[in-house]
Amino acid sequence: MRGLLVFAALLATAASRETFVGNQVLRIVAADEADVEKVKELEELQDLQLDFWQEPGSPEVPIDVRVPFASLQAVKAFLEFNRIRYSILIDDVQMLVDEEATQMIRHHFMPQTLETFNYASYHTLEEIYEFMDLLVEANPNLVSKIQIGNTYEGRPIYVLKFSTGGTKRPAIWLDTGIHSREWITQASGVLFAKKILDGYGQDPSLTSILDKLDIFLEIVTNPDGFAFTHTKNRMWRKTRSVRAGSSCIGVDPNRNWDAGFGGAGSSSNPCSETYRGPFAHSESEVKAIVDFVKSHGNIKAFISIHSYTQLLLYPYGYTRTQAADHQELDQIAKAAVTALSSLYGTSYRYGSIITAIYQASGGTIDWTYNQGIKYSFTFELRDTGRYGFLLPANQIIPTAEETWLALMTIMEYTRDHPY
Amino acid sequence: PERSRAGQAARVALHYLNYRQGSPSALRALGQVRKATLKAIPGIGHKYYLQFTTEDYKSSQDVGTCLATVLYLKRKPRPAVNINCTYTKDQKQTREDDYSFYKKMRQQTKSIIGNEIPDNDGNIEPDLEPVWALAVAGSSYIMWEKSTENLGYFMAQVKNVKQWITKDDSTDFDYTVILHEIPTQEMISCHLRVIWIPGHPLKVKYFCLSENQSSESGEGSGIESGSTTGIFNEKEANF
Repeated sequence: MRGLLVFAALLATAASRETFVGNQVLRIVAADEADVEKVKELEELQDLQLDFWQEPGSPEVPIDVRVPFASLQAVKAFLEFNRIRYSILIDDVQMLVDEEATQMIRHHFMPQTLETFNYASYHTLEEIYEFMDLLVEANPNLVSKIQIGNTYEGRPIYVLKFSTGGTKRPAIWLDTGIHSREWITQASGVLFAKKILDGYGQDPSLTSILDKLDIFLEIVTNPDGFAFTHTKNRMWRKTRSVRAGSSCIGVDPNRNWDAGFGGAGSSSNPCSETYRGPFAHSESEVKAIVDFVKSHGNIKAFISIHSYTQLLLYPYGYTRTQAADHQELDQIAKAAVTALSSLYGTSYRYGSIITAIYQASGGTIDWTYNQGIKYSFTFELRDTGRYGFLLPANQIIPTAEETWLALMTIMEYTRDHPY
Repeated sequence: PERSRAGQAARVALHYLNYRQGSPSALRALGQVRKATLKAIPGIGHKYYLQFTTEDYKSSQDVGTCLATVLYLKRKPRPAVNINCTYTKDQKQTREDDYSFYKKMRQQTKSIIGNEIPDNDGNIEPDLEPVWALAVAGSSYIMWEKSTENLGYFMAQVKNVKQWITKDDSTDFDYTVILHEIPTQEMISCHLRVIWIPGHPLKVKYFCLSENQSSESGEGSGIESGSTTGIFNEKEANF
């Protein structure tokens, strides 16, 4: 005990440190109860400012302690004097802290760039909104961000506009993420945006499209639902609207459009995943697009993207009556699907919604088609059921790349067949 | 029949096959439907005659073609399936893979446990991959039982799994699986108990709860009627 007091006295003036420079973490192995008692004595000495990560307990169980630089010599001398085994677990705590902080800063505080953005991983709403701003910043002459409304929970709804000029040029609309659990779609939307940015001036076909038409891209069409899939329920599909008389939340945004609204192929039960809502366009997320499309008045192609089951679909979903343009749409779909599969051999089926999957009323492209937007299509992206909604992130880039070929086919056709 | 219906029927036939084979290493997924005919049998139901290709569940490689009939009955909910397939994957290899998984599970002194397989980003830890595959085989029983001409299923996720260490030869797992129901889009939570010995019929017990609180349960022990081999009595022309 006396020896200990001598050592402690030597350190009486040890100043408290704010950083961990020179701190070490020692791993002490007490051979018997006597050793354990000795280490407990050390712990009593407040001036040493020891920080036990693993408290002294039974013999043989490692005791880990962070020792400030000023106390190191004293502590080691004490342990050696008492023949208590120890080893240096961490040589310099500050280095570790610095490294971790740098990592954190890199991820959270240092601005992302379009180059450092990880396209092969899934992102949060905040990250995608940040990406959109980076895109605009990269080429504000080509890209702008429009707010078309707000979600039920008050989040802004953004659409990217890609335009080389003109006034209300004929336009192509793309949306992803209307069903929030279909994560491959928002992730692909991010890549489509990047491809448009990079492709203008580089890819002759895309350049000629943008010289004649505008492209609108809504990456997160259901922001409330998307946030919910990250925080609470990965399998959430609908919006997050609340209504009196039911404890169930949300409306299926792809049953809420005014096309065959209320018919077979949607549900009147608020607890159902295909709940149509109290009335058509009740959902602010849907109304925002409806208002935008109507006021724009010059949209020529409308493509709404979902997952999964690998299909390319055209109207109608709510009725067996064939769309007037079904033959032309079928030809376009066939060409698009051929282009898609040329990249990796991924096979898609195509057809009208009601024949290729099932009857669905109040669907997006049935409404847009009835508004006169002839080239209205819906995609169901990868896969065919193995992973379903939980598509591995390593398939994001291949999926987006092959889908892009199909989109280009449709956009080129739209460019070449004005109406 | 419409291609979507034919595809759905083919999937039902594969649920039945995957359950009956009881082999996590030999699971099959639907490739392409090559031929499909629909016969309405008055008073009984609808019978689909199908020819389709199949892929290995894990690797997506082509593993053979199947001929199948799927009879959706008006009375009994469970479709009656006859299925006969070629198998181009090395059967010796799949038996070995099954056996080494089995051995590893038998050697566990601490229960295997897992959550969210795949995880939100679609990842499956390599060690847990066969545990997931066994869940697919077991869920196939549930999906076969529940399928109707209008309702189809996919296994979306293993929410959690816990192994029971047994004193006998079997491996024993308690799963919570999430099934994705089409066209309702509902996610159905099922408690699934799978008892497995390679080469033996899968023993399955389940209890499912859907969002609107209705529940269903069942048990399977590999002796259900239907067939995966044998002489086909159907006329060639039907296919």
